[in-house]
Amino acid sequence: MSLLGLDGVFVSFGGVAAVRGVSMQVEEGEIRGLIGPNGAGKTSLINSITGIVRPDGGVIAFADQKITALAPNIIAARGIGRTFQHVELFREATVLDNVLAGLYRHHVYGIAAAIAGWGRARRVEREARGEAHSLLEAFDLAPLALVPVGDLPFGIQKRIDLARALAVQPRLLLLDEPISGMSETEADAAVGMLRDLAERRRITLLVVEHNMRVMMRLASRITVMHQGEILAEGAPADIRNNRAVVEAYLGEDDEHA
Amino acid sequence: MRFHAALIAIPALLLLALPLLAGSYQIYLVELILINVVAAIGLNLLTGNCGQISLCHASLIAIGAYGTALLTTGWGVTYIVALPAGVLLTTLLGASLSYPARRLSGLYLALVTLGFLEVVSIAIEEFPNFTGGVRGLKLPPPELAGWPLKAAGLYYFVLGVTALAICAGWNIRRSRYGRAFNAVRQSVIVAQSLAISPGRTKLIAFCFAAAFAGLAGGLFTAVVGFIDPTEFDISASLRQITFIVVGGLGSVLGSIVGASILTLLPEALRGANEYSDVAYGAILLATLVLAPKGLVGLAGSLLSRVNGKGPVP
Repeated sequence: MSLLGLDGVFVSFGGVAAVRGVSMQVEEGEIRGLIGPNGAGKTSLINSITGIVRPDGGVIAFADQKITALAPNIIAARGIGRTFQHVELFREATVLDNVLAGLYRHHVYGIAAAIAGWGRARRVEREARGEAHSLLEAFDLAPLALVPVGDLPFGIQKRIDLARALAVQPRLLLLDEPISGMSETEADAAVGMLRDLAERRRITLLVVEHNMRVMMRLASRITVMHQGEILAEGAPADIRNNRAVVEAYLGEDDEHA
Repeated sequence: MRFHAALIAIPALLLLALPLLAGSYQIYLVELILINVVAAIGLNLLTGNCGQISLCHASLIAIGAYGTALLTTGWGVTYIVALPAGVLLTTLLGASLSYPARRLSGLYLALVTLGFLEVVSIAIEEFPNFTGGVRGLKLPPPELAGWPLKAAGLYYFVLGVTALAICAGWNIRRSRYGRAFNAVRQSVIVAQSLAISPGRTKLIAFCFAAAFAGLAGGLFTAVVGFIDPTEFDISASLRQITFIVVGGLGSVLGSIVGASILTLLPEALRGANEYSDVAYGAILLATLVLAPKGLVGLAGSLLSRVNGKGPVP
């Protein structure tokens, strides 16, 4: 049984269909690429998986349980994490506080303990800070722990977004354009980091990305969307040689090819 | 570190020594400040941290005050039991406000809280047999295990309770719940992606706001000895908002600074009291324009500039 299963998912906004009957399976441990021209419905599909958008039809299942139309925070608690296309960090908060916010679910103590600030609250807070620091170390963010994120460059903010999403300990991580806005060298480093995530932390990745060169190196399997439907699915090499894909996507949008 | 220690120690020593230094009127004023500090900490968690605008903070203070008063005068419950009972009652009623807050925000939520304010003030005025109605309710001095609480004893009681409330506010602000409040204020969608439930978080924030307000109300009955509905009207709510905006939104220290300075304002304007609402309004506007992060934020950025590690422009 696959980790994530979509069956005939349909999403529309005011009568305009953004996703038309998409069915796909993502297996545990794979890095799945999701590509397609602008307006193909990739972000709508991601939003329906995370519960931000309620699908008009179809079933979404995660780890053998139906998650269609559950509240986004419940879906996140089940183990689906995400990062955002236009990095959505808590800008006034420090790097450390951003990551600590991600630890809400797994470092738990009650309200009475929080008021007293003793005992369990103190112990769990110490654990959370340790955990946050090891995440910051892993993403080379430790020296920036106490800097407000609003002051930091975009590439670093992307790493913070990723570290925060990992703090929730997802089984499946949805990455919406994780490479966009990065230089070639930054992008290469990011690809290595994401592969490492999948292999060492055993996290399944579903990656939306425009940059085909990066996608060919990152994904183990690619799904191509076009006008709300799935156009093709297969290994990166097959996708590159698929005539329909080349016409719909690569041909139309040369600059990203 | 030494600077921070002095920042806490000097005011703490002054407050402890106050009954030796000041007359009964000054002590009364400081008691009023402490009560406003307690209430403002609650409102700041709700509004400054969780981003929920409330125009009925004064009603929650009223519920704490009338609850405590009715338990002591009507049912003969001793003050030290009636005070937490009033806090509990206020928390339960305050929790009900989080249900509209699940669906509404900003202006619409403000209107709902305005409705709550009206309902509470009508309830107080319509049941004069219990509440004294518009003529108010006079209360006997409270007792602590048989000992009457008055003069210095009352002052130290209020000071001690306030100190505990400040510690609680600080702990909550720094806890996972405080971080969840900030997350929900800044982006509901991001908070949800981190498995933080906005509904539950707002419920907790309203409960805290109500608990602090109820505590402030219960202390108010003991200090003032008389309550009437005009103490808890819309302008009292707006004063509370002014406290946290001027002091600094989202900061416990901001609540303390704002409530302290602005509680003394009517004293500074004595003889021109009819203009005090104008003065509150002017101070609120000036803060929003000149120091949007409040006095605490302003002091922080001045200090970091002096230390030569100012924020990158």
